[in-house]
Amino acid sequence: MAGPLLESKLHIPRRRPGLVARPRLSERLSRGAGSAMTLVSAPAGFGKTTLLTDWLATAPAEGRSAAWLSLDRHDNDPASYWTYLVAALDNALPGIGGGALSLLESPQPPFEAAISALLNDLHAGSHHVVLVLDDYHVIEASDVQDAMAFLLAHLPPHVHVVISSRADPDLPLARLRARGELVEIRAADLRFSADEAAAYLNGVMGLALTAQDVAALEGRTEGWIAALQLAALSMQGRDDIADFIAGFAGDDRFIVDYLAEEVLDRQPSDVRDFLLQTSVLERLSGPVCDAVTGHGGGKAMLERLERANLFLVPLDDRRRWYRYHQLFADLLQAHLLDEHPTTCPLLHRRASEWYEGNGDPSEAIRHALAAGDPERAADLAELAAPALRKSRQEAVMRGWLDTVPESVLRARPVLSVGIAGALLASGELEGVEDRLRDAERWLDVAAEPRQPASRSAQMVVVDQAEFPRLPSWIAIFRAGQALTRGDTDATVTHASRARELVLADDDLGRGAAAGLLGLAFWASGDLEAGRRSYVECMTSLQRAGHIADVLGCAIAVADIRIAQGRLREAMITYEQALRLAGAQGRPVLRGTADMYVGMSELHRERDDLDAASRQLLTAQELGEHTGLPQCRYRWRVAMARIREAQGDPDAALDLLDEAEHRYAGDFFPNVRPIPAQRARVWVVQGRLAEAFGWARERGLRADDELAYLREFEHVTLARALLARYQAERAEPCLLEVSGLLERLLRAAEAGDRTGSVIEILALQALASRLRGDVAAALEPLARALNLAEPGGYVRLFVDEFPRMSSLLEAAAGRGIAARYVERLLTAGGRTQHRTPVRQTMVDPLSERELDVLRLLATDLGGPEIARELVVSLNTVRTHTKRIYAKLGVNSRRAAVRRAEELELLSRRRG
Amino acid sequence: MVTPARRVASYFPLMSEAGRYEIRVKGHLDNRWAAWFEASTLTHERDGTTVIRGEADQAALHGLLTKMRDVGLALVRVDLHTADRGPDIDP
Repeated sequence: MAGPLLESKLHIPRRRPGLVARPRLSERLSRGAGSAMTLVSAPAGFGKTTLLTDWLATAPAEGRSAAWLSLDRHDNDPASYWTYLVAALDNALPGIGGGALSLLESPQPPFEAAISALLNDLHAGSHHVVLVLDDYHVIEASDVQDAMAFLLAHLPPHVHVVISSRADPDLPLARLRARGELVEIRAADLRFSADEAAAYLNGVMGLALTAQDVAALEGRTEGWIAALQLAALSMQGRDDIADFIAGFAGDDRFIVDYLAEEVLDRQPSDVRDFLLQTSVLERLSGPVCDAVTGHGGGKAMLERLERANLFLVPLDDRRRWYRYHQLFADLLQAHLLDEHPTTCPLLHRRASEWYEGNGDPSEAIRHALAAGDPERAADLAELAAPALRKSRQEAVMRGWLDTVPESVLRARPVLSVGIAGALLASGELEGVEDRLRDAERWLDVAAEPRQPASRSAQMVVVDQAEFPRLPSWIAIFRAGQALTRGDTDATVTHASRARELVLADDDLGRGAAAGLLGLAFWASGDLEAGRRSYVECMTSLQRAGHIADVLGCAIAVADIRIAQGRLREAMITYEQALRLAGAQGRPVLRGTADMYVGMSELHRERDDLDAASRQLLTAQELGEHTGLPQCRYRWRVAMARIREAQGDPDAALDLLDEAEHRYAGDFFPNVRPIPAQRARVWVVQGRLAEAFGWARERGLRADDELAYLREFEHVTLARALLARYQAERAEPCLLEVSGLLERLLRAAEAGDRTGSVIEILALQALASRLRGDVAAALEPLARALNLAEPGGYVRLFVDEFPRMSSLLEAAAGRGIAARYVERLLTAGGRTQHRTPVRQTMVDPLSERELDVLRLLATDLGGPEIARELVVSLNTVRTHTKRIYAKLGVNSRRAAVRRAEELELLSRRRG
Repeated sequence: MVTPARRVASYFPLMSEAGRYEIRVKGHLDNRWAAWFEASTLTHERDGTTVIRGEADQAALHGLLTKMRDVGLALVRVDLHTADRGPDIDP
């Protein structure tokens, strides 16, 4: 999100001395704290904020903590909204939402993950907390409101939300009402009763009015507190109070307007001028007021206004920043616009200049636009762009596109390219090409010195340093555009051009071009070219200081290494990246968890399942915020494969389902699609109908033309065909699979994909064995073993036991890779011993079901069991149902008793 | 200036139709508010209400209603005439 946190937004506003006590409403708020949400909904000036601050200050806390957030229109940016909301809760419950906050700090925050992390933290605690969201009506962004509805629906009972708003928020209020989970305080409740009006006017303001006067005022204002406040201010020090009341009671004018004018007219002219002139500011400090009014004394004037109760709200304890009460500010601005229509732009212009000089480009741009000077706004945006790109705040820049007029933007090539990049970064293709073409037109003009000077004179470049970099960045964004469309060839063309054009000092540009090239080469199956580009990209990004992106590239390089059959090099890539991440110190860098997940997969292949599980546990303990977008699905795929190796295919399938749900490609080619991995598990389970159903759905046939991106699917099809042949012994099926494997082998060899070659050779060996031709099987097996030994593959062979074990024994008999084969046979023996767990049951429980059963014997609830096993509650329910069926019981207690009889609970995993 | 609302509105012909509106609010509103609301006329009625007239598309109309909400004006009635412009009296 943009800029540092404004602490003042998180402070509970100071309680003004001498308020009218409102026990009736305080009690209702205290009662409301037992339901899910309280809504305080009423127009401006009905004392909503005052009521809430007063309640928090005076009502017995009863072990309750309060979190406060004053919202403003900047919070329509979800990054800002959620960062402040979590920070507010963190103020009340120190340490809460640390994980959510680091997620929100990342370049493109994963909001869903951040909110889940926050909810987990909240559920883990039990301390009663009230979260007040003041001025919620400023929130218009639907993504913020939707996510807020999600948060509300999942809050634990000890967290209570209070929303104050001028309009009913777009939240599922009807549902909350129907469930009795909503307490409402509305205008009719908030308006001052006659007694409260008397207490205020005579007690707090000391006006000594008669009951009749009070009744007249209360009737005319209808208990509207802002109007009563203005009335009280107008009457202070007046001799003709009776006349004033009579005059105003018999008048039809809009009440606050009438009263504000009375108040303004009674101010000395310097105060009146100051109020009108500074009403254009959202926040006021001495210096910015001085800049806008054009003379000094701003700070003293602000203190004077505060003492006079002129609707000034202090924003910090040091009396540096204030704002006007919003209703009053609107009244002042209406006066200003009417009395000095030509001064308005000048005041905004001065404010814009002050903010520019004080490092707040967003406010400077807003005031420039309000001053009717879009050129100035565009200049400011152009200068702010590089810093925003570096901190990945492209969304801010994206927002400026809507505010700067087309004609102004067109003349500015640097700004145009910056906005094109911001659009791409937010996943929007529309408008990108227009922006790039606009910029290019100016580059052509600049490159053609014979062009009439008048044309190039129209071009506006404020950031001169960025201008010479434009050709390379235009090419980079064109490559990004092509990649988003899935056009690999065009990506290579544009990215290659970008690499030629990039200037010597532009590390980020060089890294971006190389990364795009790497992706395109990889997707087209040119692994080595892809890897080399990625390595170049990592070097440049590291020099540019973009370390999290370096870690993202490490995943790609390791994936490519695995496809090349270079498992050791893949491990080294992860280890080096992890050291680089560690050298950055605290907090743990995003991408760190991904390195552990990657290493886990390599340990699993080496059949070190303990190490593999440990790595996944480490990744989990580091927290979701230390993972890149792909981490959530990759973690589950890795866990699925461990479960499968442990002999629990059902658990593997559950995990694959979850992984599919969380799939995020992040531009990587999808080289091992999750549905194909699921089909492989089905094949192992003998669920061939389902496996072939998948193949049909994907339109896979043995005589398809082959391509790298479908290689994994075609190898999966070959596995399914082999299984069918084993079951049915139909000759055409064998011919089909032999032909497919032969073609797959040639393609993999041509692409130098040794990893695939090893797997295909092993399948060829199995095919020959099924045919009963062990001698023919040994030729591909020997080749596979030779290629696999340096990488230390184990599971690739052991997963095929027992079919593979007799082949390996035959190979050992012929002295083929003797020591390696010995190791594989030992590992295979271990595995067969490991599974299945022996039980005296017709239909034994799977490892995973045993895990669930052990937890059923504890006093954990369903959701806790789900959390413990890192699966969904639904998955736990499915397991439980199966366990009940297998044990022939229909309750949790009976299941535990039966399990004890069968001595299932005491057994350890072997 | 092209506001985002107008930009979006241009994709939806139905929503982009600008029309004449009449908004009746409680209380007599001083004429200076015409500039704040970008309205063409404010008329005080005998029943103590004010009728605010002007031209706006849907997005601008919603913006205007928000502005009215923020100063605490009580709405009595909102009318919008799109297709049938009728005999225009105001400039």
